[in-house]
Amino acid sequence: MDFAFTDDQLALATTVRKVLAEHCPPSSLRASAQQTGARLPGWSQLAEVGFFGLLVPESSEGLGLGLVDAILALEETGRAALPGPVVETAAIAPFLLTPECLARLAAGDLRVSVRLGGQVYAPDADAADLLIIEHRGALHTISSELARLTPQPGVDPVRRLFSVAVEGAGTVPLAAVAPPAVRVATVAVAAQLIGLARHLLETSVAYARGRTQFGAPIGSFQAVKHLLADVAIAVDFAAPLVYAAAVALSPPFKLLPAKETELDRAVSAAKAAAGEAAAQAARVALQVHGAVGYTDELDLRYWLARVWSLDPAYGSAALHRSRLRTAILGSPELRRWP
Amino acid sequence: MDLEFTEAEREFRAEARDWLAANAPGPLPSMDTRDGFEAHREWEHRLAEARYSVVSWPVEYGGRAATRIEWLIFEEEYWAAGAPGRVSQNGIFLLAPVLFTYGTAAQRERFLRRMARADDIWAQAWSEPEAGSDLASLTARAEPAPGGWRLYGRKTWSSRAAYADWGFGLFRSHDQPRHKGLTYFMFSLDEVEIRPIPQLDGEPGFAELYFDGVFVPDDQVLGTPGEGWRIAMATTSSERGLTLRSPGRFMATADRLVRLARELDPDPALADQIARAWLDAEAYRLHTYRAVAEGELGSATSMGKVFWSELDIRLHTLALQLLGERGVVAGPWLDGYLFSLAGPIYAGTNEIQRTIVAERVLGLPR
Repeated sequence: MDFAFTDDQLALATTVRKVLAEHCPPSSLRASAQQTGARLPGWSQLAEVGFFGLLVPESSEGLGLGLVDAILALEETGRAALPGPVVETAAIAPFLLTPECLARLAAGDLRVSVRLGGQVYAPDADAADLLIIEHRGALHTISSELARLTPQPGVDPVRRLFSVAVEGAGTVPLAAVAPPAVRVATVAVAAQLIGLARHLLETSVAYARGRTQFGAPIGSFQAVKHLLADVAIAVDFAAPLVYAAAVALSPPFKLLPAKETELDRAVSAAKAAAGEAAAQAARVALQVHGAVGYTDELDLRYWLARVWSLDPAYGSAALHRSRLRTAILGSPELRRWP
Repeated sequence: MDLEFTEAEREFRAEARDWLAANAPGPLPSMDTRDGFEAHREWEHRLAEARYSVVSWPVEYGGRAATRIEWLIFEEEYWAAGAPGRVSQNGIFLLAPVLFTYGTAAQRERFLRRMARADDIWAQAWSEPEAGSDLASLTARAEPAPGGWRLYGRKTWSSRAAYADWGFGLFRSHDQPRHKGLTYFMFSLDEVEIRPIPQLDGEPGFAELYFDGVFVPDDQVLGTPGEGWRIAMATTSSERGLTLRSPGRFMATADRLVRLARELDPDPALADQIARAWLDAEAYRLHTYRAVAEGELGSATSMGKVFWSELDIRLHTLALQLLGERGVVAGPWLDGYLFSLAGPIYAGTNEIQRTIVAERVLGLPR
């Protein structure tokens, strides 16, 4: 039992954090949203450090790592509110695409969006080269140029959602099945939510230290302190569930051959806890910032919007809570792992 | 990162599980009654004979030199077996860690083995009638006397003190304000006047201690006179965190709650909260394994204290809601519920803990 990240895992996260601090600053989110700058800031630099090949097998020129190796790096993409179909490209596509496609993916030359069963929209499909669509239980790919995309403007101006209409021409069936990839995606989004929550907490603490009212920093008031302390606690206790789920989904798959329901339980626990912690972090961030936080003038709005946008992605916290209820109260023999 | 237990850890677990299955007694009378206190002491003797009373201590003092992970495993097995509450917890979990760090060799020799066997059961004496959360405002004092000190004043809400043998706590030994000039004393309760205080369950789980010149020799000062605050803070950090309330306790409660829910088939709203509470016990467990692996036990204790104390109330509240009228008649769930309500108060109220998290973890201004 050693629930600590390795030096390699930590170093990868540090690299991603540095790359994104330099190449995906808050101003680039606004530029991406307003189409005044790059749609996908930071992506080419992330590709250079091998980020998109982390989960791609070595036989397809990837690094062949497990989700646990990448989980902190994924968390960093959340912390930076990195635009684009990050999870779809880096965490779903490696499990579904053919080896030829994967080599391009690992090199950062192929961006992928998905609309799998249960999803209504394809996220960031405008920035994708390839779509993976689930239709009548089977997976297909289609070049995004051949699909008819209808934008569905909404809460997050950076993570854009699209209805996808496929006429039939140009689709290629895939042999893969969705569930393993959806599990990985769900935990990857949970990690992003943890990263988003950490950023929201840090930003709120910084604001509360600097904002003065009644002649004192508002962060010196106990009511404000306790709001922020509760966010810190929620994030601190959600993150280990995400990391444990990442371990469960990584080779050598130590949770297996236990029942798949136990794997699903770990996944749902990660998404529900991370989603709720992030929602709390967003709610408190807005409250601590007050009126200025409610404006479009502060970059804070991009992190708030991403939390709200990612809650329903791959199952809302409420949906996963419902699954957990069935898994915990419905299974005749409730086992713990590890 | 490896979330599998090692072969040695699995063997340790199996051995503890087997021993507890064969030896753990059924429910004992409340440790806050005279008979119950002695029954719990007897149980501690049996634990000690099997070297299970203080598994993380060095072998020479009666322990097994267990790793932190092994200690967590033991706690999981201990509570899963339904074994009794630890009447010796003030000593073995709160005083002993600082005795190992700050005590003299002679003090360790004199106190630790007897503590491990529950030959001496210890009570803590922090709070005073006018010094609760604001412990540094305490006024009970120690005056120098030939060969030692004389203690004066009142300590209160002292758990186990109604029947315990020894006490430890802070007294103002120097004429200095607040955190300065405090000394950490260990004293026999024989000469201290004790007024038992019944708790919400009607049993005297608390006592008030009256000191009217009780003599304490110099060799019962822990650490340097005047440096007591620093040592006390090390104790309270143990109290808030792992050593007092390890995850195993809440995992066992959560498992019992789920079993109860299966019997009683609650409506979905209640079932949802029960599943959530079970999972929160898992979160506390994983959080603890991470804290152990990262060696971050110190800064995490205030966050953990808020989390486990509020989880404990939820677990027991849900059980009472499941049981309806049967929940408010005497029984283990009602006992547990009343006990859980103390969690956000003792060891530093949760309001104090949240302020500590805000100031020391997040860096917000005082």
